[in-house]
Amino acid sequence: MASTTFRVFRYQPDSGDLESYHQDFNLDHEEKTTVLDALLRIQNEQDGTLAVRYSCRSAICGSCACKVNGKTVLACMTQVEEAKAESGSSTLQVDPIGNFAPIKDLVVDMTPFWDKFKAVKPFLIPDGPAPDKERLVPKAAMEKVAKESACILCAACYSECNSLAADPEFVGPAAFAWGYRFAADERDSQRKNRAKLYSGQHGIWDCTRCMFCNERCPKGVDPRDAIEKLGAIAFQEKVTKDKGARHAKAFLISMRTGGKLNEQLVGGFTDPVGGAFNAPLALRMLQKGKLPASPLTHKVKNRDQVTKLIKNVKETI
Amino acid sequence: MREHDVVVVGAGLAGMRAAIAAHEAGVDVALVTKLHPVRSHSGAAQGGINAALGNETEDNTDNHTFDTVKGADYIGDQDAIEILCARAPLEVYQLEHWGAVFSRQEDSGKIAQRPFGGAGFPRTCYAADLTGLVILHTLYTVCVKYNIPTYEEWFVTDLVTDDNGNAVGVVAYDMIHGQIETIGAKAVVMATGGAGRVYRPSTNAHASTGDAMSLALRKGVPLKDMEFMQFHPTTLAANGVLVTEGARGEGGYLLNKDGDRFMSKYAPNKLELASRDVVSRAEATEIQEGRGIDGCVLLDLRHLGRDRIMERLPQIRELAIAFAGTDPIEEPIPIRPGAHYHMGGVHVDNWGAAPHMPGLFAAGECSCVSVHGANRLGGNSLLEAVVFGARAGEASAAYAQEAPAPKVPGNAAQETQDRIEGLLARENGPRQGEIRDELATVMQEKVGVFREDATLREAKATVDELKQQFQGVVVDDKGKTFNTDLIHTIETGYLLDLADCMVTGAIARHESRGAHSRTDFPERDDENWMKHTLAYLDDGEIRLDYSPVTMTKYEPQVRSY
Repeated sequence: MASTTFRVFRYQPDSGDLESYHQDFNLDHEEKTTVLDALLRIQNEQDGTLAVRYSCRSAICGSCACKVNGKTVLACMTQVEEAKAESGSSTLQVDPIGNFAPIKDLVVDMTPFWDKFKAVKPFLIPDGPAPDKERLVPKAAMEKVAKESACILCAACYSECNSLAADPEFVGPAAFAWGYRFAADERDSQRKNRAKLYSGQHGIWDCTRCMFCNERCPKGVDPRDAIEKLGAIAFQEKVTKDKGARHAKAFLISMRTGGKLNEQLVGGFTDPVGGAFNAPLALRMLQKGKLPASPLTHKVKNRDQVTKLIKNVKETI
Repeated sequence: MREHDVVVVGAGLAGMRAAIAAHEAGVDVALVTKLHPVRSHSGAAQGGINAALGNETEDNTDNHTFDTVKGADYIGDQDAIEILCARAPLEVYQLEHWGAVFSRQEDSGKIAQRPFGGAGFPRTCYAADLTGLVILHTLYTVCVKYNIPTYEEWFVTDLVTDDNGNAVGVVAYDMIHGQIETIGAKAVVMATGGAGRVYRPSTNAHASTGDAMSLALRKGVPLKDMEFMQFHPTTLAANGVLVTEGARGEGGYLLNKDGDRFMSKYAPNKLELASRDVVSRAEATEIQEGRGIDGCVLLDLRHLGRDRIMERLPQIRELAIAFAGTDPIEEPIPIRPGAHYHMGGVHVDNWGAAPHMPGLFAAGECSCVSVHGANRLGGNSLLEAVVFGARAGEASAAYAQEAPAPKVPGNAAQETQDRIEGLLARENGPRQGEIRDELATVMQEKVGVFREDATLREAKATVDELKQQFQGVVVDDKGKTFNTDLIHTIETGYLLDLADCMVTGAIARHESRGAHSRTDFPERDDENWMKHTLAYLDDGEIRLDYSPVTMTKYEPQVRSY
């Protein structure tokens, strides 16, 4: 047997109290107990008003994502004793997923998440009528989207997303993983249109690449990788007017020509108009030695290796 | 009051397929679901969906029909099974056309098919071991494309009937906004899934509480073949989580504590791929006779090798590591039989229509057509959900196009509101969790893989006692918003109704057939018992009646594998 204090986020609007707080529940439990099992025991034995979403308890329905000691997990898949060992504490703090408004206790308003999911046109749009039997798809082509097809829409990625914290309108990692799942499906006819739809404001180029979504996804979907692959699709489809795409392109040109980053080129190419407004800043940076004095491209010694690297990366996408 | 032509309750495979079919037929259809659609338990189905595509070997609809009739231990309706198997390829192609990411053959690019229990040919189409998830998502994306109105997190409390006893809508609790509302409809399609939570352990989700069955039963609709609960041979010891039959389909072995592949004794031809009732009984016997390990036998996948496990069974590996602390690449997984699938359900015809209530339709696990009879074959549940979901959608739309505007009693929601307020006002008494725990424990112990008269009667006495206790049940949470305590309490009432039907049916059926295995009546008795059980609720008591099984061309044979 083991004993744990669960410090649970409470928000009970029906009581008239619109302030949230944390409440401690002490529970004796078997060593092998998941956070979800513990929460349900608390609900059954100590406080029936505790609200939490859950269903399958086998890490497939995606209902029970929450934060355990600040880290987003599926409650059903998280062993209490392992979480305690990881944090070195006998108390586990349980909070709702981040980047959402609370409804009651651990239950949050998922509406923005579903709206954004729907906004990426998450359905196959094939070209022409269907054949009598199945469409033939090479095994390798189908496996290209296998990882993203395993997304259970639990919103763990959304909870951890730093771009969303800065811009609540950002479409978010899960929806883009689904976007990639269709854009890269060879049965879909909308590759270019999808590249356009996913670019622009709040789009793929607004991802800050913090990698938290990859790290915290309980199903190994790697949404950041999907966003990156969508970026590559945008390039292949020549959807590159976006500031983010131009920024990436400037990087590439700069790498190709000099083998190293040329800040002036990147800044100017990404945002020629905005860049001009920043001229006074650039001047001051120049004076302080923060910018190279010559706009001419410096070249690294082993540029052939950089070229090789670029080629390798291109081939893997 | 809200109103639609057709209201579908439940948004798993059967519900969404029905809604799509009704939408395509041109009626105004809405989904009502206590979960978000993608949370539905269809998503937990792992191994696959059967269709005689013949992609791996020669196969045909007749083979599939015969295997299903035999698997059902000759109590499935053969005309319904013929419909199921004939439409199977069309539905699988349809799912593929909608974008389902089925695993593919290496060279041809066709849908790959794997061997499954009780099947003569490799017939099970799959998406690694995420088949249910992929199909659930595919149907959801179609619902999004069609913009089908969906009442998410609306818990249905009542089926509403008019003065003539026709189904004319539902009353539901909008969990987020804390309102109770009536949704009127010309036709109601019930698709709320199984009642696996009558048992513990169970592979089923916490939400699998058989809601539709109880809602229909309470309105006078009979439930069919309720005594047939399938125990899946491979569930994790810790919490009953499912390990797909695909693990054996891919070549996994079952071993006892001596390392013997014991299935050679019980099913010398099909071994691990005998039908589920046969394998579960074999495991239970090995364990009872002392050849188990801590109440389990072992599922050994090591010889499949890392690559095959990672490609075909990635989820199984993840779940075994998370819940059993076992990596199947390195060591065998301890498993045991666990409650999994309920063959019984709302008595409906081949179109999913309830003969006892005009306007009521049902599809998927909550219904009983019957195609699974006394034992369902693996890979046939997803199939049944889409085939009979589509048919119920088509039939309900056709019905709604002919039906007059529904005459919904104006006080329907108010009656529910009053009843719930009465329940919430109660201060002293047992809580639902205690009642549910005791129910699940007694069902597991006394209405399990093997059954006999004395213990079944003990179970019945406990169920009766718990039903009494439930009359005084107390809800802790008195609030309006997202009151899960209230919902669980109502669900527990459903579970008690259904357990009563299961036990009562099991006591009466004096034979062993499929999943219903009586140690005191070990033989199948076609002369007296080749018939469906119908359970009615009369003044709080279960009354049984029987109806004939439809035969076409498959004569009952001795069932061996």
